[in-house]
Amino acid sequence: MRIAVIQFPGTNCEFETLVAVNEVGMEGEIFRWNRPEGELSSFDGFIIPGGFSYQDRLRAGAIASKEPVLKALKEEAAKKKPILGICNGFQILVESGLLPGLVPGKGEVEMALAQNVMISKGEIVRRGYYCDWVYLRHDTSPRRCSGSYLIEMGSLLKIPIAHGEGNLVTASPGLIKKLNDQEQVVFRYCDRNGRMINEFPVNVNGSTESIAAICNPEGNVLGMMPHPERAFFAWQLPSFDPRKHRPNEPGPGRRIFESMKRYIEVESC
Amino acid sequence: MLINLRVWLKIPDAEAATVKNTLIRRLGYGKVLEDVKKERLISIQVDSGDPDELAKAFARELVNENKESHKVLIDRLEFEEGYVPVKVALHIEDGEAIAIRDRLRKRLGYQNVVDIKKATVWKLYFRLLKPEAQITAREIAEKLLINPHKDSYEIMM
Amino acid sequence: MKIIGLADPEVESSLRGAGIGMSVDEARSIAEVLGRDPTLTELFCYDAMWSEHCSYKSSRATLKEFLPSDAPNVVMGPVEDSGIVAIDDQWCVVISHESHNHPSQILPNEGAATGIGGIVRDVNCMGAMVVATADPLRFGDPFGPKASKVRWVAEGVVDGIWQYGNALGVPNMAGDVVFSESFDDNCLVNVVSLGIVRRDQIIRSRAPPLAGEEGYDVILVGKPTDSSGLGGVTFASEALRAEDEETNRGAVQIPDPFLKNVLFKANSDLFRLVRESGIEIGFKDLGGGGFTCASSEMGAAGGFGMEIDLDGMHKAADFPPEVLSIAETQERFLIIAPQELREKILKIYNEDWDLPNVYEGARASVVGKINTGDRFTLRHKGEIVCDVPIRHLTAGIRYQRMEKERIYSEAEPKISEPEDYNQVLLKILSSPNIASREHIYRYYDTEVLGNAVIRPGEADAGLIAPVRGEKFGVALAVDSNPFYGRISPYWGGATAVAEAMRNVAAIGATPVTLTDCLNYGNPEKPEAFWEFREGVKGLAESCKNLWLKDYRDERIPVPIVSGNVSFYNESPQGSVDPSPVIACVGIIKDFDKAITMELKAAGEDLYLIGPRFDELGGSEYYQTIFGVMGANVPQVRFDLERSMIYAVIDAIDEGLLTAVHDISNGGLAATAMEMAITRPARYGMELNLDGVVCGDLDLRTDKLLFSESSGFLLEAKAGKEQRLEELLRSYDLLPAKIGKVTAKRRIKISRFGKTVADLDLDEARNAWTRGLVEAMR
Repeated sequence: MRIAVIQFPGTNCEFETLVAVNEVGMEGEIFRWNRPEGELSSFDGFIIPGGFSYQDRLRAGAIASKEPVLKALKEEAAKKKPILGICNGFQILVESGLLPGLVPGKGEVEMALAQNVMISKGEIVRRGYYCDWVYLRHDTSPRRCSGSYLIEMGSLLKIPIAHGEGNLVTASPGLIKKLNDQEQVVFRYCDRNGRMINEFPVNVNGSTESIAAICNPEGNVLGMMPHPERAFFAWQLPSFDPRKHRPNEPGPGRRIFESMKRYIEVESC
Repeated sequence: MLINLRVWLKIPDAEAATVKNTLIRRLGYGKVLEDVKKERLISIQVDSGDPDELAKAFARELVNENKESHKVLIDRLEFEEGYVPVKVALHIEDGEAIAIRDRLRKRLGYQNVVDIKKATVWKLYFRLLKPEAQITAREIAEKLLINPHKDSYEIMM
Repeated sequence: MKIIGLADPEVESSLRGAGIGMSVDEARSIAEVLGRDPTLTELFCYDAMWSEHCSYKSSRATLKEFLPSDAPNVVMGPVEDSGIVAIDDQWCVVISHESHNHPSQILPNEGAATGIGGIVRDVNCMGAMVVATADPLRFGDPFGPKASKVRWVAEGVVDGIWQYGNALGVPNMAGDVVFSESFDDNCLVNVVSLGIVRRDQIIRSRAPPLAGEEGYDVILVGKPTDSSGLGGVTFASEALRAEDEETNRGAVQIPDPFLKNVLFKANSDLFRLVRESGIEIGFKDLGGGGFTCASSEMGAAGGFGMEIDLDGMHKAADFPPEVLSIAETQERFLIIAPQELREKILKIYNEDWDLPNVYEGARASVVGKINTGDRFTLRHKGEIVCDVPIRHLTAGIRYQRMEKERIYSEAEPKISEPEDYNQVLLKILSSPNIASREHIYRYYDTEVLGNAVIRPGEADAGLIAPVRGEKFGVALAVDSNPFYGRISPYWGGATAVAEAMRNVAAIGATPVTLTDCLNYGNPEKPEAFWEFREGVKGLAESCKNLWLKDYRDERIPVPIVSGNVSFYNESPQGSVDPSPVIACVGIIKDFDKAITMELKAAGEDLYLIGPRFDELGGSEYYQTIFGVMGANVPQVRFDLERSMIYAVIDAIDEGLLTAVHDISNGGLAATAMEMAITRPARYGMELNLDGVVCGDLDLRTDKLLFSESSGFLLEAKAGKEQRLEELLRSYDLLPAKIGKVTAKRRIKISRFGKTVADLDLDEARNAWTRGLVEAMR
C-alpha cells in the first residue's frame, strides 16, 4: 500500500507525516513536486502535508495548485483513490478545486481559506497566525470519508492547529447548506464537551460554522486544517492530558491515518 | 480626504517573480506576457489635518525605506502607461487593515484617521495592444490573481 | 587606497569617505604587513574581519581566560559555527547562540527574522538536522516615555521570528522576554538553535585535509550576492545614533525562509552524497562578514590558501568587488569539495531542487579553488583585487581594553509592609515581566516536526524527543536577569547560569552544556568593559562550581560550547543593563519521566527547597510596587545550588514529584501562583509560611514572599513524601513542607496563624494572562 507524501518547495511537515504513514503499516514515500507526474499513478493514496508551499505567495496554496502534479492528482482523485490534505495541503486542494469538489471534473474554486480572525463578544481580540491544541468533533458518519473512515459520528479528537489562513469562507450562496446536506463537513472546532461555540477560543479562527475539515461528495478527498500527524503518539499531547503518559496509548491523530489505510483495503477490492 | 500610498519594492520582488513564472510556465501566457510587477496600495481616509504632513508621517510608519519606495497621491489614484494595473482587495473584512487603522489611531495618536483600505496592485506588462491587454488582464485576474470567495479585482485604467 | 606616507587626518578622511570603519592605526598595520598600500577591496575585507562582531577583538582574551569549554561530553567546542555535545554513543546535540540586536532596533521584522535565519544556518552547516529554536528577547519599557517605539520594536521582532521560523518549519521550544527602560533604544534579540546529528556524520567547517594538494573546489550556494547588509558587521560594532538611522537602515539584511527551507532539503541531499561517497568536505554558512569571512576562515582553519574569481559568483547585479566580497546577502552556504563531486553537487542544487526557479538567480556556482599556499586571493574582471596572507586576515587583532569599576550607588530601600497583599499579588501577576507569555508564543509554531513533549508555557524548560525510536529527550531553557546585572554584573552572570540550569533540572533533565550571548555596552569605555569582564567572571564561577552531574566526582565544570559577544549596545542615553544571556541544554534518558509545572492532584504536599534570604535587589517586588532597584541582589551559593539541582533531577527520576517550578523573578509568591494559574488551572493551593526556612532571621512576610533567592517549589507525589524528604536530606537540604494542593479555586497564604492573602484563582489567572497583552497593545 504505497502512499505518496507530496513535497513542494516550502512544505515543512513531510517527515513527521511520513512517520505516521509508516507507523500504521502503509509504505510512505516523499514525492518531490517536480518528479514526472505520471509516476503518481503507481501510488494507492496521497497526502499533501502542511507547510508554506511557495511561501504562501499570492495566497496560501495558490501557486502549488497550478503545478502539473496537481493535474495528475485530479486524475487519481477521479479513480477514487484517497487524498488527504493537511493544513497547507487543504489550502492547495481548495485552490485547485478538488475540494469541496461539488462540480466534478471542472476543478472550480468554490471557497477560500482566508486569514484567521478571532472574535470574542463581538470584538476582534486577535488576528493572524495561531498555534494551539483544539478539539474537533466528527460531524459525519464513519465510512463517509477516507480520512475518517474508522471514526464514529460525534467522536472528539484533540489535535493541534498552526496556521494563519484557516477561516473558511465562500461567496456561493447555498454552498454551506449543500455541504451540510451532503455530509461533507467532516470536522468542526468544538469545546472539550463537544459543544460548538462560534466564538474564540472554541472557534479558533473564525471559520464559517466552525468548519475545520471537509470532504468531496465521493468521500475520497479530505482536507483538514489541524495536524493529525502532530498528535499521532499520546506522548505528543499537552501536559495535562491524562493519556499522555499511558504506555502504548495511540494518539488522537492516529485514527486519521488508520482510516486511510482501511479505506484502501476496503474500497480497492 | 483620501491619502493613497503606492508602495513598491526596491529589492527583487520574489512574489511578483513567482506569479510571472507561474503565468508563463504553467498557465500559457509566455507569448503575450512581458513582465509582472507588484505594488501595495494603502488608502488612508482622514477627516482633518494637512495631507502632505500626514502622508509623510504615515509613510514613515508604513513604508520600509530599507527595501521599499513609495509615491503619495491625495484624493486621486493614477497609474503610468505601459501596463495594465489590476487592483486586488479583500471583499470580506480585512483584519490587517483594521489593525493598521487601530495602530495609527491608538498607538500613534492619529485620531483623524477614519478608515484604512489595503490592496495589491498587480502591474501586468503585455506585448499586446490595449484592448487585448485588458481582456487578458481580466482573464489572468480570474484565473490566478484572485480567489473570488474572498477577493475582488478592478482594472484601473 | 593610499595610506603609506599620508598623515593621520588624511588617512582618516579617506577611510571614512569610503565607508570604512577601521582606525588609522589598524589601516597602517595592514599596509605594513602587505608591504604596500592596500586595495579598496582589501580594506573592506579587513574592516569586516577585524570588526568586533567578526574578530572578537575586545573580548576574546577575556573569554579564553575564564570560560570553561571542554568536558568529556564535548565533541566540538567553540571553534566552528556551533558547539556539539554527545547525548550517547550515536547521537549528538548541536547548539549555537547569537545576537542580532542592532538590526532589530532599526528594522525589527527583518532584523529578528535574519537572526533566526542565521542561527539555524550555523546548526545546519555542521551536518545536523535543525530541530528547535529559542528566543531570549529584551525590550524597553512598554509604559515609559518611549512606549510607542518599544511596542513597535517588540511587535516587529515577534512577527519576524514567527514569520521566519514557522515558514522554515523549525519549532520554537523556549524563550523569554524582559522589559526594562535600559533597552528603550537598544533592544536585545538573541537567538538559539538546536540540532541533532549522528556523531559519525558531523560535517566540519574547515577546508578538509588534501583540499590544497588536490585543489578542491570552492562552491557558493544560495541567493545571488547583492549589496544587502553592507556594513552590517561594522554597523553592529558602532553605537546607534538617531541621525544615522537612514544610513543604518541600509545595513539590514533581507531574510527568505522559503529559500532556506529548500536549501536545507538540498543540503540534506548533499550530506547524503557525502556519506555515501565517504569523502570529507568542508561546509559553512555565510553570515557576518559575508563571503570573505566564511571562505577565509574555512581556508585558514584547514591550513590552506585559496584563489577566488568573483566573476564566477552568481550575483544580483554587477557590483564592485569590495561589495561582493563582504556583502551579507542571506541564505548562502559555502562548500569545499573535491572536483570529482562537482557535477553531483551542482545537480543537487541547480536541478533536483530547482533553485533558479525557487528564487530568481539562486544557484550553486564554482567560485574558486583551494591551494597549498597561505594567501587569500580574489580576482575580479581579470584583475587581482585582494591578495593578503590568509591567517593575517582571519587572526584578527586583540585589544587590551581598560576597565574601571562602575560604582552602584542605590541602597536598600526602607519600605513598609503592604496592607493588602491580594492587591500586591495581582499587580505582580499582571506586570509585563511576570505575566504569561502566551500572547507571544501562540504566534510560534511549537509543534512542527512532531517532537514537542513539553512546549512553552507548560514548564520552566522546553523538551523535545528528536529521534523516533529513541527515548531520550533534549531540554532547553534560556535566562538572564538584567536587573541583577545592573546592580552587580558579577552576580548577574553567576545567577544567569544557575537559573538556566535550575530551569532544565525542574523538568527532570540533566544540564549537559551551556551557551552564552554576552550583551554589553561600548568596550572602549572602561566602565562598560569592566561590566563585561565581571559578567564573564560570574558566569565562569558558576560553571566551575556547578559541575556536570555525570562527572561530579571529578568536579568537571559545565562547559560553554558556543557563544557570541555583542558590544556597543548603547545610545547617547546610555548603555543597556549588563545582559549575559545563557542557554542551557539538558538531556533526560526517558522523556516520559519529564514533568511540568501545573499542580497535579488535590491533597498533595508542597515542599520548598532553597532558604529565603533578604535578597530583593533588582526584584519584581521592589520595581513594580515601589519603583526602586535596591541593592541586595540574589547570590549563588554554589554548594546549595548544586545540591538542589541534583536533588530535583534525582527526585523526578525516581518518580517522587508530580510538579516542579523554580524560583526566580517574583520570588516564591510568583512561583507558587504560576503553578496554580497556568493551564489548565484546575487546582488551588494553601501555603503556610511558618514552614519556610529563612537564611536571614526575622524575614518580614513580604520580603519572604518576594525574595528572589534561588529555590524550587515541589509538589510531592502522594505516598512518596517520606522518600522525598530522605532524598533531600541526603543532599543536605532542609525539606520545608509549606503547603498543600487543594480542590478549591483559591490561593491562600497564611503565616503565624493569620491569613496573609486569599486570592480567587480565576481572578489571578485573568490578571496574569492579560498582563503582556496590555503591554504590547
